[in-house]
Amino acid sequence: MGILNAFKVRMNTLAIVLIPVCIAIDWAGHAVASTLKLPLFLDSIGTVLGGLLAGPWVGGIAGLITNFISSGTVDPIAAPYSIISLAIGIAAGIGGYYGWHKTWPGRIALYVLIVLVASIGSTPLNINLYAGQSGVPLGDAVYASLVKSGWPTWLAAYIDEATGDIPDKLITVVVATLIYFGLPNRYRALFSVWRRQSGEPEPAPASSV
Amino acid sequence: MGPDRGGARGDRRPPRGVALSSTSLVFENVSYAYEEAAREAVSDLSLSIAVGEWVGVTGPTNAGKSTLCLLAMGLAPHFFGGRLKGRVVVLEKDSRELSVIQRSAEVGLLFQNPFTQISGARERVDDEVGFGPECHGVSRLEVAARVEEAMALVGISQLAARHPMDLSGGQLQRLALAGLLAMRPKLLLLDEPTSQLDPAGTAAIFDVLAGLHASGITIVMVEHRLETLCELCPRVVAMVAGRIIADGPPDDVFNREAVQLRVGSPVFTRLAREAGLSPPWPVRLRDATAVFGRRLA
Amino acid sequence: MAGGLSLYAEGKSLLHRAHPLTKGALTLSAIAIAFIAPSIGWVLGIGVILLVLVTAAGVLRRLLAVAAAILLPITLLLLAVQGFANANNRTVAFALGPIVYYREGLAIAALAALRIACLVCATFLFSFTTRPADISEALMQRGLSTRMGYVVQSALQIIPQTLDMAGRIQDAQRARGLETEGSLPRRARAYLPLMLPLVLSSLVATQERAMALEVRGFGLPVKRVARFEFADSPLQRVLRWVLIGAVPAAIAARLAGWR
Repeated sequence: MGILNAFKVRMNTLAIVLIPVCIAIDWAGHAVASTLKLPLFLDSIGTVLGGLLAGPWVGGIAGLITNFISSGTVDPIAAPYSIISLAIGIAAGIGGYYGWHKTWPGRIALYVLIVLVASIGSTPLNINLYAGQSGVPLGDAVYASLVKSGWPTWLAAYIDEATGDIPDKLITVVVATLIYFGLPNRYRALFSVWRRQSGEPEPAPASSV
Repeated sequence: MGPDRGGARGDRRPPRGVALSSTSLVFENVSYAYEEAAREAVSDLSLSIAVGEWVGVTGPTNAGKSTLCLLAMGLAPHFFGGRLKGRVVVLEKDSRELSVIQRSAEVGLLFQNPFTQISGARERVDDEVGFGPECHGVSRLEVAARVEEAMALVGISQLAARHPMDLSGGQLQRLALAGLLAMRPKLLLLDEPTSQLDPAGTAAIFDVLAGLHASGITIVMVEHRLETLCELCPRVVAMVAGRIIADGPPDDVFNREAVQLRVGSPVFTRLAREAGLSPPWPVRLRDATAVFGRRLA
Repeated sequence: MAGGLSLYAEGKSLLHRAHPLTKGALTLSAIAIAFIAPSIGWVLGIGVILLVLVTAAGVLRRLLAVAAAILLPITLLLLAVQGFANANNRTVAFALGPIVYYREGLAIAALAALRIACLVCATFLFSFTTRPADISEALMQRGLSTRMGYVVQSALQIIPQTLDMAGRIQDAQRARGLETEGSLPRRARAYLPLMLPLVLSSLVATQERAMALEVRGFGLPVKRVARFEFADSPLQRVLRWVLIGAVPAAIAARLAGWR
């Protein structure tokens, strides 16, 4: 099974140490966006980057714990959405496993996948938590006008959510990709050393004479 | 160094090959290239270091000094991948047979940057020192004893309750060293341990090392300040472009022309040469004082 | 700088002394039941219980300050949107000029807002009375891997350090003429110059940190020794099971016609 192999990427110490840094990048991305008063969350740049660099587990765990920590400190309402962050990290990890971030069609596919995961995943949560709204004034205005003109709640809720996700995830994927290619080659190579399946022999000693 | 290490051995196989008793670190025709690197970082390295020695390693940029430390620790190849030829035998075990974490009970490596060496997961200096022993499953009582001992050795006992990130660079580097000493290593590798420290911090680290050397720990130290190296280390290895070009007592090594040309000379050696004295030139302050004293008299 | 993220407030209340898992069970169970409970009356009841506990823990004032900042905007937004546009709207409540508000939508908004208020109170009740380091230690004693425990502990330390550094980079870039105010496109252009240096430096540091951790034996498959013991009691153990058991019980009641 091709796609399942992405999950067999070895979790070495470097991958473990990368997770807290990705979590901190998620936080910093959001903090910088807030100080610049940008109308976006931009709180999953680290999650996407972690997925691209080190696979679905690193990306997924980074997303999950980012949300757990925000829920416990600044924004308890983020807690139920942890599952979405987990899914975004896993999606980025699968994209990274196939090297989507290296070609233009791949980058677009990665962006579309992440937008779909975020918007489809968040809609049922919004319906149960916010009676269908997303909690973002612009999206909620769209929601109100759609419901008023007779659209079904679930569709209005989806469009409300997507209104936010489409620009937010675009910037997220662009910034994460730029950071990825801004890293020194030697550093990225460290991860490719371990991008082998758990069944394969140890990379280094096996290649020695 | 007590035999009890908390039963943290993952690998119980007997070491392969000849038991080289009383050697701490042996390189046999070792060549190594990093993953995706065209050129070898070290080539055909052969070196044998006995238990209890204090060896200084020096050389210009890209000499392969850091790689030597990484090979001795096992980080090359276990962390970096790459291609290794020849044999690295550390405390009588082949480096291919033990991972870095398995070896960590007996071998410690101190890096240059004090800030990246703390675990980042502990909120007190004493807890930070205990991180390594805890990873090895050492009992709580034993951890406490080792933490106290290690903090006293490097002189940071009074900082026990502080947050690691509130320490100065010099204090942090001593904290990192204490974290290694709490593992009670037999072999200590140091990669330019004081290059980012102020003079006071540097002096403090070297004092600690002198004490450790006296207690019988084998020390291999990369250092680019030649005066310091000659003052502290009874044996010096000079490297250039991945190869060893000289190995011996500092007076011998720094009186060779190849070393003077390609690695450099301690300031006293240069002064003596420029003053037109006849070789062998002095490499240490006390020898230089004697030589120039005679000259003036 | 140390523990800059933690909301923990030193205290000696029963809740402060309770086992972290007891408090965790209380929080999760209260939130789940608030969302399972069918009507405003029940949710209000849970909210009152939570407020009593918050008061008993001596953190009511701190809670009101942070909770109001979160709850006020979202409550207003919910009332404004649902009262105006909801599929169930039938009965006119009042009109603001041309905009008509309906009772059904307002009631739905109020229920949603109250549930969110319970979520916020229950979470902060936990955060105010529990040290972050205790949470990861308690979870590791219950089988969370030491590597995942490290991730949580390390993240709690790195986040405030990174935010500090973000502030410093912002000052430095501003001093070099980067415009961080003005029109939206201008502010958006400042985003990358602020993020890139921050992210690249913290990522490259991970390589050395990973090596340093391996050198200390991080990741050895040994049986973990607890760093300290938490006070626990048979009563707390029973309480934990009751709290956890209350969630499926509530679901069952709801399915059996709890209105």
